[in-house]
Amino acid sequence: MLEVLKIVAYTILICIPAAVLLYLTFKTDDRRYLFIAVAFYVVFPVVVTISFPTSLSPESITLYEAVDALPDSSTVLLTFDYYASTLAETEPMSRAALHHLFKKDCRVLTVTTIPLGGPTISERVTRDLAEEYDKVYGLDFVNLGYKANYVAVLKGMGSSISAIYPADNSGTPLSEIPMMADIKNYDDIDFIYVVADNGIVEYWISIVQSQYQAQVGCGVTAVMAPKIYAYVSSGQMTGLLGGMKGAAEYEKMVGHPGSATQGMGAQSMAHLFIIVSVISGNLMFFIDRKRGRKRKLS
Amino acid sequence: MRTIVPVIIAFLSGMVMILAFFFDPEKSILGELEQNVLSWVTIVGGFTLLLGVVSIFRVNLIAVKRRHDGWGYKLVTLISILAMAIPAIIPSKLSPLFGTGTDSIYDWLFNYLDAPMMATMFAMLAFYISSAAFRAFRARNTEATLLLIAATLVMLWRVPMGEIALAYIHPDLPQAINTYIMGGINMAVQRGIIIGAALGAAAMSLRILLGIERTYLGK
Amino acid sequence: MTFVVILLYKGVIIPQRQLFRFLIIIIGLILLAAPILSADSLDVATDSVQDVAGQIITDSVETTTSTEEVAEDSGWGYRTERNNALFLMVLFSVVILVYTRWAKQGKELFLRKINGLDEVEEAVGRATEMGRPVLFVPGLQELDEIETIAAISILGRVARITARYDTPLMVPVRYPLVLAAGQEVVQQAYIEEGKPDAYNVDMVRYVAGEQFAFTATVNGYMMRERPATNIFMGAFFAESLLLAETGNAAGSIQIAGTAQPSQLPFFIAACDYTLMGEELYAASAYLSREPLLLGGLKGQDFIKILLIAAILIGVLIVSLDIEAIAELYKSLFVSV
Repeated sequence: MLEVLKIVAYTILICIPAAVLLYLTFKTDDRRYLFIAVAFYVVFPVVVTISFPTSLSPESITLYEAVDALPDSSTVLLTFDYYASTLAETEPMSRAALHHLFKKDCRVLTVTTIPLGGPTISERVTRDLAEEYDKVYGLDFVNLGYKANYVAVLKGMGSSISAIYPADNSGTPLSEIPMMADIKNYDDIDFIYVVADNGIVEYWISIVQSQYQAQVGCGVTAVMAPKIYAYVSSGQMTGLLGGMKGAAEYEKMVGHPGSATQGMGAQSMAHLFIIVSVISGNLMFFIDRKRGRKRKLS
Repeated sequence: MRTIVPVIIAFLSGMVMILAFFFDPEKSILGELEQNVLSWVTIVGGFTLLLGVVSIFRVNLIAVKRRHDGWGYKLVTLISILAMAIPAIIPSKLSPLFGTGTDSIYDWLFNYLDAPMMATMFAMLAFYISSAAFRAFRARNTEATLLLIAATLVMLWRVPMGEIALAYIHPDLPQAINTYIMGGINMAVQRGIIIGAALGAAAMSLRILLGIERTYLGK
Repeated sequence: MTFVVILLYKGVIIPQRQLFRFLIIIIGLILLAAPILSADSLDVATDSVQDVAGQIITDSVETTTSTEEVAEDSGWGYRTERNNALFLMVLFSVVILVYTRWAKQGKELFLRKINGLDEVEEAVGRATEMGRPVLFVPGLQELDEIETIAAISILGRVARITARYDTPLMVPVRYPLVLAAGQEVVQQAYIEEGKPDAYNVDMVRYVAGEQFAFTATVNGYMMRERPATNIFMGAFFAESLLLAETGNAAGSIQIAGTAQPSQLPFFIAACDYTLMGEELYAASAYLSREPLLLGGLKGQDFIKILLIAAILIGVLIVSLDIEAIAELYKSLFVSV
């Protein structure tokens, strides 16, 4: 009941500024009023903390259960295939994944196919979490960093990781890293956890999963998620986290609510505003059609 | 000469990869050959990054020298390139400020300048989506109306607030949206496009390997 | 490998005219011979395994398992489990080559109308009339992506039209290899149109390696220069809507084409014409009308019909709940 009251309160909150700004948009045909409204609905829930219970989708449960079913001390390859631009959606996924993996004492190997920022992000996030769980670099986790040409890298690692990455991100030869002694190729990796914001995720399926039978699960941006459904259903992808909502679901499952959970309020408000603006846009469309007027936003 | 040699190289390299797919890399020479080709690709890929830096530097330097319109911005671009590149190239042995490690200049610039700028650009998508949705999402006919309803339901389902509202209408409604819209209609359409595009890509690859398609060489 | 290329080029091994036929035959023979040779060595190896084990394998399941194990031990290392992929690849290649041959012999091949491509010339013409440039973005992926290669092919055709009409052309790229290929293709187009002097190396320029730095630059260009026509072809991601909405606000005619399903809705909402999925790959054949390329397209359609039939048969088998056939049928398509 409390939740319903919350919704009613927020709906009223949405309605007043939305009505004013949409009226101004119609009046002036200036899309900047729409932009102000979107900014308001994204910032407002961040200033006034709004939280709602996050329900779990079957796809994220599948991913969580697949990772959870791995024996302790398994080797997991975690990828940081995203640019800094999508950090809000993707970094919470990486963090939640690392919470889960370090809790299970898994050995974590990280790679990135992103030249600008990929290695920096992976270093920052893994070292942050490793400190929390007292994990030692070289024994519990290794950052391999970036190598050019992802297709060649993904395929090459199937034969020999050290041939593609002779040294780790900081230049230490792999032969001198204890954890890498028994990790030669995908055969020695129990699970591949891809976090990506671009088409690379499909190469993890077509090259790594299909040709090397590696078990691959992924977290992707919301806009990419609909495409990945096809691979989850065919069994080629073991679970899926879609956008910030997926990240919030994983945070909930591992018991570490983070920035994705906090972001749900802003996302809820923005979505609702867009729905309201689409409905009002349609109303105006019908009114304009009756009046024989064509409008173009400037 | 300018066409035939690249076509032969493309053919042989492609064939090595195709043949290697059908043979165990550890049992035949193809495995080694494939590994060599992949190493070449990685090395060539690394060198091409230099090509990009030279191009961007040249274009902007000419604009600054000749005082083209907006040359001030081009100057900022040049300074930014140097500010990111030089401290990153200098070995970190000299000082922890150099190289690309934590607490280096590169790291600082990336985390506090580059990352927020990129995130800002990505965040602008929200504004563009709102204006595109406002302008283009119209119930012009039956199909467009169905699309509008489906999109509204999915937008509600993707956020906790909307999910609660949907569950208030019917407890199974959020799950039904996942099953029927995302896992049903959406997936079927995605598969159709994926299969079609994959076939197109395979056919084009074959045309390139056999030298039939040379338009990418300017022919 | 370099040595072999030189010998082949010089015509030492085989006359140049026959080169591809020779290479295809050799590769075909290797592929055809491999399973057969592997099968022979497989029998011998199976015997030896049975001798060592001291038991005769009679159970069919066990036989299958040991065959798979032994297949890995065969001298050639041919992977029998990939026979289905080999069969599909050979079938696909044969169909494409047959159609290409027919096209070469002058057989009439029907190609449906693709509005977006028909509009390219008109859109460039509009830019000429308005005295404004044409912007061509060949996607945001590397050159090893087939989508990018398709985009570069289309760029060649567009560059010919801009060369013909003396319309300024701007091609921002995100990867250095795409830069090299783009410059080559545009220069060639200007030479072929008899206007080598009109070509400027900076028509194709590397902008930025980062997705949104690239987008910001292109958006800035669109707002400042107001190109009359924007053509977005290739692989696009989150930047698709940013680019297309800015172009829309700048009042440009926009033609987009991508095989990324997740970006299609954005292009459809903000562009005048959109090529979907494989239409992008068909573009170079469609624009050039070269019989050799058209043949490839028809071959692709034929394979698609076969795949649709295969899907329908699969649906039928599963719907009728014929378990034995279902498993067998499924195994034909399982990739390993």
